[in-house]
This record gives sequence, structure tokens and C-alpha cells, in this order.
Amino acid sequence: MAEITYICKRTVVSTKPTQPGKYHSFSVLDHLMEKNHIRIVYYCKSWGEKEAGEITVSLRESISEMLTHFPKVTGRLIRNEKGNWMIKCNDAGVRMVEARAKGSVEDWLKIVDREKELKLVYWEDMIHKPYFWSTFYVQAWADKTLGQKMVSPPFFHPLPPRRPINKTSNHKPYADLINHYKFSIENSIPLLDANHTHTTITLSFSDHMVQACMDMVQPTSAPNKPNRPSSPFEALAGLLWICISKVKGLRNGLVNMSLCLDQRKVLGLDKGFFGNCMVCNKVHSNGLEEHNLSQATKVIGEALEKMDNEGIMDLIEWLKHNDSYSHPLMNNCDLICASLETAEPYSVDFVGGFEPIRVSYYVEPTIGIGQVLIFRAPSYDGPLGRVVMVTLPKDEIVKLCEDELILHLSPRILMGVARNHA
Amino acid sequence: MPPILPDFSNSVKLKYVKLGYQYLVNHILTLTLIPIMAAIFIEVLRMGPDEISNLWKSLHFDLVQILCSAFLIIFIATVYFMSKPRTIFLVDYACFKPPITCRVPFATFMEHSRLNLKNNPKSVEFQMRILERSGLGEETCLPPAIHYIPPKPTMEAARGEAELVIFSAMDSLFEKTGLNPKDIDILIVNCSLFSPTPSLSAMVINKYKLRSNIKSFNLSGMGCSAGLISIDLARDLLQVHPNSNAVIVSTEIITPNYYQGNERAMLLPNCLFRMGGAAILLSNRRSESRRAKYRLVHVVRTHKGADDKAYRCVYEEEDKESKVGISLSKDLMAIAGEALKSNITTIGPLVLPASEQLLFLLTLIGRKIFNPKWKPYIPDFKQAFEHFCIHAGGRAVIDELQKNLQLSSEHVEASRMALHRFGNTSSSSLWYELSYIEAKGRMKRGDRVWQIAFGSGFKCNSAVWKCNQSIKAPTDGPWADCIDRYPVHIPEIVKL
Repeated sequence: MAEITYICKRTVVSTKPTQPGKYHSFSVLDHLMEKNHIRIVYYCKSWGEKEAGEITVSLRESISEMLTHFPKVTGRLIRNEKGNWMIKCNDAGVRMVEARAKGSVEDWLKIVDREKELKLVYWEDMIHKPYFWSTFYVQAWADKTLGQKMVSPPFFHPLPPRRPINKTSNHKPYADLINHYKFSIENSIPLLDANHTHTTITLSFSDHMVQACMDMVQPTSAPNKPNRPSSPFEALAGLLWICISKVKGLRNGLVNMSLCLDQRKVLGLDKGFFGNCMVCNKVHSNGLEEHNLSQATKVIGEALEKMDNEGIMDLIEWLKHNDSYSHPLMNNCDLICASLETAEPYSVDFVGGFEPIRVSYYVEPTIGIGQVLIFRAPSYDGPLGRVVMVTLPKDEIVKLCEDELILHLSPRILMGVARNHA
Repeated sequence: MPPILPDFSNSVKLKYVKLGYQYLVNHILTLTLIPIMAAIFIEVLRMGPDEISNLWKSLHFDLVQILCSAFLIIFIATVYFMSKPRTIFLVDYACFKPPITCRVPFATFMEHSRLNLKNNPKSVEFQMRILERSGLGEETCLPPAIHYIPPKPTMEAARGEAELVIFSAMDSLFEKTGLNPKDIDILIVNCSLFSPTPSLSAMVINKYKLRSNIKSFNLSGMGCSAGLISIDLARDLLQVHPNSNAVIVSTEIITPNYYQGNERAMLLPNCLFRMGGAAILLSNRRSESRRAKYRLVHVVRTHKGADDKAYRCVYEEEDKESKVGISLSKDLMAIAGEALKSNITTIGPLVLPASEQLLFLLTLIGRKIFNPKWKPYIPDFKQAFEHFCIHAGGRAVIDELQKNLQLSSEHVEASRMALHRFGNTSSSSLWYELSYIEAKGRMKRGDRVWQIAFGSGFKCNSAVWKCNQSIKAPTDGPWADCIDRYPVHIPEIVKL
């Protein structure tokens, strides 16, 4: 029904020229994300009787202003002497593609699926040419569109050094985190073009659904052990871990899963820090025979706790020392469960008072076991509301939708499996 | 320097000699008149009042004689005032300030070049070398249609650019001068390369609902010197129509002329030409003399088209792949020098002080009679003008003129900075340069300005303006937000 007509491709530059001759190198965490890319779709309501062209003009103007604050985004990737990527801030600008889709946003959202949605995000494989298709701070862009000052201006600086603390005499580096990365790097499966067998669904858990899930997590036994209440992320991650394990046919035990979280707070960085802060950790499922939600969630909670400042600092130092590894793909052996909660997609406001109707994230390439992305839901779903995007092979997704735990919580299916129709 | 006294060129004494000579020759009339008047005065004093009254009574004046003399004086005065050309005032002008989203940094230009000319790395190299040495900055602007990959030069986009540039400049002009659109008697629009039907002047008349008996003209194909040609035309019209206002719009529309082929000689304009435009209000009304900024003193036009080489040096044609572009020949600078010499020969006697003219005459006689090997004397135009606006055609043009006219770097600063900030905006570049001088607060009452423009054909046109009132540095205008950053040092080669 909805065709997408490609209108044009152009370059948008910042409003002020950048200082020539500046370079920005990536941190070790940035380098790890080299093979990954993320595609995001924001659906916004258009307010008032504006022509489609007018909105793009004002968006272009605001992105120009915003780019003045992000000279690294308008630069280009080049390789430095060590063979790693770095950015040359040459003020070249950001490529923008404009297209028009027929039909209204609401109609589109009813029939959209992974394939169709990905068509909305323009992608070109830049294999040989060192050009930079940037993903940038959409929040800052939105703030600028309304003529406001940016709420969190960007910070460009290297990862912070270790916090000076009382050095205890026996300081054992947190081995698990490092081992996980080592294992991933050594066992990375070569990239296969397996994109087309996976599909994605989006489930929306409103406030009370998440509350119900968290209640299910609270263990009924062992009253004398004080339990830390689990966070929505832990609860949902546990839920999906179990469901996906069931779907994959594992009667006892759970699939290998890694958690991936943004560690800005832990590292003491401001929200405006420009760079990758996602750190992954494996969840140990040894000893978990049954599919018990509260136990799974407990294990997840433990893994999250272990990712503290010390542990991450150790990891960063280890990565710096072992710089010679070619940067691998981080999500190819396990089920990745990533929390994008700090991204706050629905607080982005382009049109003055309206949050986006929907936001979709796609982290690519998707191979391996699968992927779960959890992020905050629009405000009408309540503060605990979460949106979960699950990427699995097609047949498993269908089984997942029929899983009893999920049906018990009955989340809203925002985007389902592709229906085969014209 | 004149070869008459070659060994003393660095001597301080020579400077004072020159100054003394100039003062003597330029004020020769005053200097001869004063002794005569002094002599008469002394004679009168010596004679005493009685002798003077006797002298007066001895003159027999007939009534008829008195009346005839009176009529003669009145008649001569009337003829003089009637035949005097009307003074043309430049009330004000406005330059178009391109929107900042149309900015084209070097890196963006080179990327687009690489993407559009995928199969011709040599042409891309050539463009890069031109850009490095061009003297342009990172804030010059191209119209929106050229930002697309590949560029989309449709007629609609060209009209869009024309509307954007011309209407912005005219709105700005109306605001500055308080001019009512219905008061415009003459409208001249010049745009060399884009000439649709109905014309751009018709577009302006339609937009602003100008009067039906307006005298409108649209000049196209006349190159970068068309701005001064329009001024000349307006001046001639204002001699014929009393009490009138004339609006001139000078612009160049880039969209339809962006060359999409690979021929090197034709790629050069892509690197230099940028978006720009200006709107000027001229008037011959006496009432405007109080608030007008400048008075037009001379316009001198020189056309070298009779020479074949000059005619073909800027030529629009199709390349081997039938893509249209403007080809610039290699001897452009030499031809420009020739045209300039021609123009100077005509304008020299009109503007140079007597001292320079005398020197030039003496050298000329000397060369003819004594020794033809004497170098021709190049008059010092710095004595005739306080400010110079040289068309910002490219760095080479400004360098060449600076050398030929022996100008200091401060004299050509306006031209260089306009080239850096706005690029080559064709016929409107002279107005950006004038705006720069005003923005720097250098324009004082009585200052004389020389605008020189070159154009295809090959033409060299000059206009001389005299400042009517000291101009305060304006708070609006194209330089308002960046004048504090200028002058900026422009390196010979910018590393890309």
C-alpha cells in the first residue's frame, strides 16, 4: 500500500565553519562497536496544516544549527597510523536523504513489519570508501528544532580515568567481564549474510503489565532474605530469556545470554557524553534447570551488579593493552539483551508538545541467536512502561507470540510478523 | 615609477619634490589668481576712495547696455543650468545575504565533485587545485538545487533561486529606503545566464505590483560587468525623465549554469561562482540629495569585442558530450589587462589631478620625440580615489590589477575579503565590496570610489562615485555578523 518515493539526496552542513586540522580518535569502547550499526525510525505526528516540504526545510535548518555543536559528526572517517579509525574534522557535512511515503502515519503503523520499516531508513554499504554515515544525537536535534537550547550539550572527551580510591592491597580485577570479552573476541563467527531469515516484532508493555511482571518475579520462598526489588529491565529481560529459551527448544536450562547496558552513570559521565558506553556482560545460567522467572531475574540482577565502576575500569584497561585484536562483532554467539533505557526516545520532541508516536530501533547486523532491545515507552504507558523489540528467526518468533507467559501478561503487539499479502 | 629620475626613487627628497610638484600643478589656478587679486587690492588701496568714485563716474552706462548685459548673463546662466546633466544620486542599496544552510565548505564541494565526476579523477584533481588557490572561504553559498547529489538544475529551481535572491534584496532595499513600490519609474534587472520568459523584470513587477507605465529593462548575456552597464543605462534614462526613481537589480543565477561535464576549462566557473545579488536605488530628485549615500560622477565603458581573441575568451558552448558550459581561455588575464589599459586611457583625463596628467603628457611627448624606450608613465590613481572596488572575479584578477595600478593591500582589501566571504557573485560583487568598506567605517564625505568590472565580450567598465555624506557602520547588511572577523589572512594555497 505505501510506496516510498525517493526525492533527493543532499548534504547538510553546520552553520559555522569548523577549525581546520582537528582530529578525534575513538575510545576503546567505540572501537568495539565498529562492526555494528543502529538504525532508528521516529514516527512523529505533524502538527497543524504544514506542507510536507515545509517541515523538511525547518528540520534542515535546525540540523544545521545543531551540527555546529558537533564538529565530529560532520567529519570523515580515516585510518590513523595504527590502522584504527579516527575522525578528521573537515566540516564536510552530513548526508541527508529525503523521501515521501504515501498514506498516513497511522495506516502505515498498522501494516508495518521489519522489512517495510527498514526500507524507511536509507542505508548504503560503504565498504571501500571512508565515508561516514552518522547517527547523531536526535535529542539535541529536536531541541534545536524548537529553538530551544540543547538540554544536554555534548561532551567530547576520552573515557575518564580510574577514580582515585583507597587502593586495597589485593585487588583482583573483575575477571568475568574481561573473560566474556575475550571469549567473544576469540570466538567470533565470521559474518554471514543471514539477515533475511530474522524478523522483528515489537511488544509494548504498559505500566501495569510491567508491574505484574515484576510481581511475578518476587520469589515466594525465603522470607528472611531481603530482596532487592528488580528493575523493569531485569524483569522483562528475565521473562524474555525464559520464553526465548523455551522457543529454541531448550527444555532444561537457558540459552547463553549477554546483557548490554549503557554505563554512563556508572562511569560518572554526563548524559551528554558523545561516544559509546555500552558494555556487555554474560549472564551465568549454570544451575538454573527450570524455567523459573524469579531465579532468572535474580541471576540477571547479579550480573548487572557486577558491572560496577571497578569492573568496567578493569575492562577498559585490558582493552587498551590488548589493542592489537581486530575489532570483532560483539553479538554473534549469544542472545543479546540490550537496554536502551538511557536513550529516552520518547522524550524527543520535534513538533512542539508532541512526543513521537512510535520509535523503532534496529541494531545490525543481526546474526546468531537473536536480539532483544528494551527501552522506555511513551508517557501514556506510564513510567514503568517499556517497549521490547525482539529479533529472532521467523519460526521462533511465531512460537514466541504464543508463549503462555507472554500471553499471561498480554502486551500490545505494535509490530507483528510480516503478513504475506500484496 | 617614472623613469625620468630613476636613481632617486627611494630617496625621501624625491617624495617631497613630488608633493611640492603636485600641490603646485593641482592648485595652479588658485596660485596664479591670488597674486593677481593681491595686486589689484593693493592698487585699489593705493588709489584711495576718491579716485575710485571718479573712476566709477567716468564710466558711462546706458540703460540699454545695462539691460543687454544683464540679459546676456541671465541667458548664459540659463543655458548652463539647462545643459548641465542631472545629478544622479545613489540613495541606498541592499545586498542579498545567502541563508546559512546553503553554505558550501571545501570538503563538501570536493566530496560532491568526487561523487558527480566519478569517472574523471583528473577533473576532480583539477577542481581541487583551483579551489585551493581560489581565495574563497568556507562560507560561500551555492543555491539549494546544487546541493543535491547529483545536482538538479531544473527551470523551477532556477526560478526559485531568482525569487529568493531578488525578492530578498528588494525587500531589504524597500526597508532601508522606505521606498513605495508604486514610486518606481524605471526598473532594470541584469542577470547574464538565466533569461526566462517572462523576464526577471516582469517577475519583479508581478511580485511587487509595480505601476503599468513603468519603464522596465532586462539585460542578459552581458557578463559580470552588466551591473555597471545597468547603472549607465539608468543614468541615461534619468537624464530624459525628470523627477524619477530607478531600481537596478544585479544578480547571477547559478542553478541552470552549473556545468555537469568534464572539460577542465569549463569546470573553473563551478569553483568560483556563488550565489549573490544586489538591489540599488538611483534617483535624480533634488529632495534625495540630503539622504543619498553617493553621487554618480562618471561611467566609462570600454568594449574590446572587435578583437577576435577578446571576443572568444569567455565563451559559452557545448562540450564533446553536448553539455553546456562556459569556457575560459588561457589568455584571459592578458586580455583583461589590455581592456583595463583602454579604460584607463579614457577615464584618466576625467578623474586624474592635473599633476598626474601633466606627467603623463610629458612622458608621452618624451616617448614620441626623444626616446621610445622610455617606459610609459602609469598615473597614480591613488590620488584620484580613496577607495577601489575591483570585481572579485578571482584571485588572479585582483592580483593583476593590484600590480598594474600599484595599489596597496589595503586598497584591494575590500575585493579580497568579498571574494573570501561571498565568492565570485558576478555583477553584484562590486556592491558587496562597497558594503564592506562602509561596514568598516572607512567611507567619509567627499571620498571618491572607483568600481571596475570585467565581463565577457570582452568589456571593461568603470563607475566613479563620490560619497555624499559620511556613512556610519551599518548594523544590518551582509557583513553585519562577520565584519569583526575581517580582514582575514588568505593563504596562497589552502591545504585540502
